[in-house]
Amino acid sequence: MKSIVSGLTTKTVTALVCFTTMLFFSNLLLAATHTIEMSAETLPNGQFGYQLNAYAGPNQLTPTSEAVIPGPTLFVKQGDELSITLTNNTSVPVGLNIPGILEGAAEAAAGGGSQNYVITANQLGAHPYFDEGSQLLGLFGALVVDNTDGTVQSYVDGDGTITTVNQDELDKEYIMYMVGSTFWGAEIVNGTQTPLWTNPVLGAVLDDVVRFHVLSVEHDHTFHLHAHRWLDEIAPADQGDEPHIIDVKFLGGQADSHSFTVKAGTGVGAGMWHLHCHVVSHMESGMAARFRVDEPGATAGNSVAGATPYGAILLGATNDPGLVTFEISDEPGRWFRSARSDALAPITKTRSLEVMSPGSSAHFIMSDTNAVHAISTLLWPSDANDPTLGNPLTIPFDQTKAYRGGAIIQLDTPGLYVFTCKIHPYMFGAVIVDDPNTNGLDLGTKIDLATGINGLPTISDLATRLLRTFFVATTQENWQDYTSPAPWTISYPDVPVVIGDLSGNVVENVPLKAVLESRYGQDIPLAGLFNPTTPGIGEVWIDTQFEKTAGKTKPGTITVLDTTDWTIKRKIALPAINMNHPHNIWSNADQSVMYQTQWFDNKLTTINRETGALIDNIQIGDSPSHVMTIPGTDEVTVAINGENGVVRFPAGAINPEFMTPTQLPGQVPANPHGHWITPDGNIVTPNINTGDAGIYDSDTGAIIGRPAAGGNFPHDPHPIAIGMGINKFYVSNLLDHSINVIGFDGTPIKKINLIADYDPINPTGPDTLKDRDGDGLVTAGVFPIQTPVDPTGRVVVTANTGGTITIIDTTLDKVVAMLPCDPGCHGANFGAKAGGGYYAYVTNKFSNQLIVVDVDLDNPANSFIAGRIALVADNSVPSDDTVVSLAGMGGQGVYAVPNVYNGWVQNLGNDWGLTPTQLNPVP
Amino acid sequence: MMHMNFCAETLVSTSRSLQTQRITRTSRWIMLPLLVFVLAFLFVGKDAHADRKGKLHQIELWAEKIPAGAEGGNDLFAYRMASHIVSKMDLSNETDITSRYVDAPTIPGPTIVIDEGDEVSLTLRHQFDADPESPLFQVSVHVHGVHYDIHSDGTIEHINLVADESATPVASYTYHWVAAKGTAGTWAYHDHNMITLNGAEDRGLYGALIVNNKKSRIPALSNIGKPKKVPLSSIKKEYVLFIGDDAFWGTEIDNKTGQQTPLWENPTLTSQKNRNVRFHLIALGTNTHQFALPGYGWIDPGTNVVINEKIIGPLEKHVFVVKTKENSNYMDMTFSSKLLGMQGDLNITP
Repeated sequence: MKSIVSGLTTKTVTALVCFTTMLFFSNLLLAATHTIEMSAETLPNGQFGYQLNAYAGPNQLTPTSEAVIPGPTLFVKQGDELSITLTNNTSVPVGLNIPGILEGAAEAAAGGGSQNYVITANQLGAHPYFDEGSQLLGLFGALVVDNTDGTVQSYVDGDGTITTVNQDELDKEYIMYMVGSTFWGAEIVNGTQTPLWTNPVLGAVLDDVVRFHVLSVEHDHTFHLHAHRWLDEIAPADQGDEPHIIDVKFLGGQADSHSFTVKAGTGVGAGMWHLHCHVVSHMESGMAARFRVDEPGATAGNSVAGATPYGAILLGATNDPGLVTFEISDEPGRWFRSARSDALAPITKTRSLEVMSPGSSAHFIMSDTNAVHAISTLLWPSDANDPTLGNPLTIPFDQTKAYRGGAIIQLDTPGLYVFTCKIHPYMFGAVIVDDPNTNGLDLGTKIDLATGINGLPTISDLATRLLRTFFVATTQENWQDYTSPAPWTISYPDVPVVIGDLSGNVVENVPLKAVLESRYGQDIPLAGLFNPTTPGIGEVWIDTQFEKTAGKTKPGTITVLDTTDWTIKRKIALPAINMNHPHNIWSNADQSVMYQTQWFDNKLTTINRETGALIDNIQIGDSPSHVMTIPGTDEVTVAINGENGVVRFPAGAINPEFMTPTQLPGQVPANPHGHWITPDGNIVTPNINTGDAGIYDSDTGAIIGRPAAGGNFPHDPHPIAIGMGINKFYVSNLLDHSINVIGFDGTPIKKINLIADYDPINPTGPDTLKDRDGDGLVTAGVFPIQTPVDPTGRVVVTANTGGTITIIDTTLDKVVAMLPCDPGCHGANFGAKAGGGYYAYVTNKFSNQLIVVDVDLDNPANSFIAGRIALVADNSVPSDDTVVSLAGMGGQGVYAVPNVYNGWVQNLGNDWGLTPTQLNPVP
Repeated sequence: MMHMNFCAETLVSTSRSLQTQRITRTSRWIMLPLLVFVLAFLFVGKDAHADRKGKLHQIELWAEKIPAGAEGGNDLFAYRMASHIVSKMDLSNETDITSRYVDAPTIPGPTIVIDEGDEVSLTLRHQFDADPESPLFQVSVHVHGVHYDIHSDGTIEHINLVADESATPVASYTYHWVAAKGTAGTWAYHDHNMITLNGAEDRGLYGALIVNNKKSRIPALSNIGKPKKVPLSSIKKEYVLFIGDDAFWGTEIDNKTGQQTPLWENPTLTSQKNRNVRFHLIALGTNTHQFALPGYGWIDPGTNVVINEKIIGPLEKHVFVVKTKENSNYMDMTFSSKLLGMQGDLNITP
């Protein structure tokens, strides 16, 4: 651990003498014993905190009546002994870890268990203490070990003098814990500890000498305080003869700390000095506090606490600004999981909805995920970013790139806010900021969407359709189970809400459940399962991304379907590597090796196709989405959705070799998702973060073009998948509900509006969907995702997560048919039909069936659903793990073996029984 | 006053120490503190009487747009040195050193090199189109390390509660910095106000400020790798390398002429052999980096420890001197940076 620069002067001689003094004194004083009783408690917002219940020892340390975050600060002298008894009043095991001092000690059992820890504080410095497991939820605090002679960190005065300080000369000490994207603060004045909660204003009087203890757990941070500078901490043995004066300090690893002293405002004067993490993504996600240096005066130097877990949230205890907390999780549906969801779910019917008062804050912490994420507002009350009524500086809430950490945002305007992750755009968390003076929960009269739709009345079909989507996507119990005879029932919260009519007038006491049920139905019978009458050729590999098994903590299996008899051949969970959210699959040329991405992780997994056995599991990049080979060379390309390029390696290699960047250096990361390869081997990516399609020369990596995607709405089309035609490609735009048709040189050819027949504005009714574009058809493709073109280039099949399959005839570049699909309709790919022709296999995230579409290449409008197959396996199916829940759910990536796409099918290398036409689809 | 207090404290502290250590040796009990007192007074006293007037740097910086080209993607932004005039504090003896910089916006922006004791009056002009509702309307310079009052913080009123300290298309903004004693070092300056409430530093709006202490001797390594000190005058080149999330961005300064050469992304650095060159690394963005320069070691600043790689987080600085010997390549060793090819050559000529 770190030590302290103390007694250091600008001159070596003096420094050495002082230092010798310090060391000598420390040996003379007798060590004290601190007997501490602490408990771990659950706070009103579901977070945890340590509470001090009793203290005996040389300090003034008063027990508190409630748990605090950070936990009580333990000040001791070097050599002191601590006996800490920890009682655990939470529902999870809780322990105490202090790196380098107390590691691997037993945890106190949930529900009242106790543990005693005895440690000797030999190492100087601030030491993080924390629970290994719940540290990101509030179980952290600081142990500060000081010199026995009372000297603490020296400060750099305004004239450059490095000034020695004794602890009793400190006017204040601050604890600033950097956790996620939030500072958790406390201050200590004359031994009295005051919690300052989240992102506080630290108050000081000009020329006060104050000490900061900055600590971190889990994520990397850099601490920066404006207009002040201080001494870096350097172990005495390593101390050089020049001081290292800094104003930014990195904290990293499992836990870290940095202590320093400053004289408030020295050389710079009074002011509201900004204090923040200098990691750009953390700056963008709210990680800032303030150091307010006052001229002397009556109330000068008072600190101001920030939003607190004890504050004004639904069922909250006080009227102080409150804090609701969402854990960002890899658990299906519960991706934004309220920390108190066990208590709220009976009312809210989802684990991803929170309610709080205006002026409180929404807080997010990436505590249960291996992935990088962004935490952005998908929609918000229109007034929230109004220049006079709201705050356009903070709403919309967004970050430039995906990252690790958290987010915090104060919400003042009543209404509904929905947050999403741009990388994983079906992750949703909602906050209702509720004005206590209205009758019902405030959804707001109008909402704005990230795509640039402004002032949408909350009575509109689009608003309630989005709400329904939220309740389906976030709640496992609301997903469709095709193996059950029961109809599909969606649970909605039975609460009155306040909305706005088409004129923007407030309508109170609207029964939310009744409205959603009358608009979208309830207890809906599910279509029956049936097999296609004509067999397919080979296998279909389906990423049942949410299916949970006994042998691992992370979700997801691969379901292998035998298309010769439509039975499930195998389930592959890979418990040995805790395979996490398998998202998309491809194979090598001879179809012997399957490549599998783990989208909520950073791994690419290779699997033996014949046996289902794991071959290798390699780090590839954050949130790898799609994988595809380049025909001919069999080179592997992996779109790194959480980063800024396509990682590549040659066939047969076991490690990634280089990345083709999707943008020029210094530009905003494109975050490519579902790429495809052109017939001449170039890479085309849908760039979700920059709203374009990138075309990259696979030999040189040069950017051939980045034509804009979307066009229905002003912003954020969210292009997510590419389909490859013979001489043009198709880009599906998730949030723009459109498909762009683009030439291989980047020339835009056409925009296909998938919602031309849809009226989003008016309340749901018979005319919500009707033939508005005059083509004689009624079609809609809401939230389009995968959009492959058949191997002959004739038909595009688009899976729309809003619950439809749309068919585009590429000779017209027009939607010619719509087929029903399930909520979360997601993946689509083509496989060979026995005797010629193709099936399109379509998967659904929020159901457990695979839909087989018989594609009519002669008349695409005649394509039809040829089969519906449950992805649930019985005990007879070979598997490497046991399914425990969400059986067959989460269908996303889908890949037919053999690969019959043009360019690949010619290189199969063995006889799969394909017809001559299938073997040469584009003569 | 501070110097007096400091000396007194030193004396007290030293006396205590000797009381315990040398309680039987009365003569030394008296002699040693006296010696320390005299030494401390000599050095500190000398500093206190040093010439603290320094020079005044009148700088005009332009914030400009570097529009995206055929490769698409977003525009970048960058600072250009429009004018740099050095004078005495009373504005006498003006020297125009603007020709040391290229007449173009660069990433990183111009490196501002001053001495401890100097002051800077920096006027920023906003040189691209942006209407008042645009997130591009405000741009600023926030500097690290040196002294400035709250009006020169370069933040928006939402943060500083005083004013939007920004240049806009209709008004420039002037910042005043004092490189007081204790501020020697290399510091970043960057935008704090464009696009987001914390600015758009990651779009190219950043540069380095080097505050030299002319008298200091700089930690370096001898030919056999032993720590030693070299004078500032022995340093032939400064390499300013910003470590972004996907590339290094560099500038080099020839200390003989003061001439700055922008080197842009992942540059090749060149030097003659056996020259002292100084690296100024500053990270900027979201990622943590692990910098290495194979074949070379250097002193970790503030320590006596020789290192050959360094973990650097955003806006941390890492400054060190090496004596050039063999070709090498600097790099960021983190997983994604290696795949992206975040590295460049160090080419040594005889």
